[in-house]
Amino acid sequence: MGKHRLFVAALLLGTLCCGAIALASVDLSAGIRYVSPSGTLADCSAKAKAAIEAYLPGATEAEAGSGEWMATAQNPATGAPSAAAAVRCYPLPKGYVATFLCSVQLPLNPYGASALCLDVAHKFYGGALTPLASMPSPTPVPSGCATTNLVGNWTSDDNPKLTFKMGLDGDVTDSDGVSGNWNIDGNKVTLTYYGNHTMTLSPDGKHLRGGGYSLTRQC
Amino acid sequence: MKAFRHRTVFLAAGLLAAVVPPLEAPAALDMALGAQKVVQNQPVSACNQAARTALTSVFGGAQEIGSGNTGEWQAYNAGDTANGVTQSAAVHCYPVGDGYVVTFTCAAQVPPSTDSAAALCSKISAAFDGKTSAMLPLTTSAGGR
Repeated sequence: MGKHRLFVAALLLGTLCCGAIALASVDLSAGIRYVSPSGTLADCSAKAKAAIEAYLPGATEAEAGSGEWMATAQNPATGAPSAAAAVRCYPLPKGYVATFLCSVQLPLNPYGASALCLDVAHKFYGGALTPLASMPSPTPVPSGCATTNLVGNWTSDDNPKLTFKMGLDGDVTDSDGVSGNWNIDGNKVTLTYYGNHTMTLSPDGKHLRGGGYSLTRQC
Repeated sequence: MKAFRHRTVFLAAGLLAAVVPPLEAPAALDMALGAQKVVQNQPVSACNQAARTALTSVFGGAQEIGSGNTGEWQAYNAGDTANGVTQSAAVHCYPVGDGYVVTFTCAAQVPPSTDSAAALCSKISAAFDGKTSAMLPLTTSAGGR
């Protein structure tokens, strides 16, 4: 029975770890080009900046006067960029040419690169605009002594100098910088830290005991 | 016997934990505007040929977007079982006067891509130059970001 639980815990840990980094993909849209028979590079630049900023904040020009504009958007759920759009203007003897390029990270981003680029392009030269889905909200960090997770700061009852910070992603780091992982199933906890330790969480979510450790959560 | 079994289980679980990759920082999308170059006295077909060759040299293949001679080329790297597409690039050719203008744009997912989008664009741009230098030197060029 104990053997079975250990293997399940180990497999769950594996699934957690691998699932967090699997199969995110880059999606690039590069097929929209607009040729204006009139207007200057400055005109193109002004429209490019406005069109990008209708969807992504803070468009910047690669070099002043280059006519090449780009912006990225942070994904609050991951804290990293998951969408970007660019408009590249080039002056012609009469008018200018503008190319529209977008990239997103799927499935983290709530809309595809083509949808983003189509809206930016239509904002630039006119056309139907389709609302894009909102970025996801950041995952709230649990607080207090929840019995469904171990997130928070823990102190060893035997050695108060030894503390642990347990994170939302199942990561744990001790006061010396040594890292490991935690997993909880009911009130049974597997702590992977210098080997695997099977522990029990108290009903108030404040104490963790077993496997040679006794910890208390600061909550 | 029982103690031996438990030791084996601990060992197996420990081994599994050891080979499981650590939780990594979330992959960030990186997009770069590569170089913009103007080539005189060359038809746009030369740009198309060089674009295709440059992208193929980096990604192993390339396709022209749309139908006909659009001059818009795109390529992706091959995904694997652990990751989807992690690098992508586009090369745009457009006729200007008696030559053409070409731009390079790249996107990468870092990590797992070890190349940034800017580094990827530099590779493709260099491969493009290698192809076109056999025909005619570039007359002007401007860096991107």
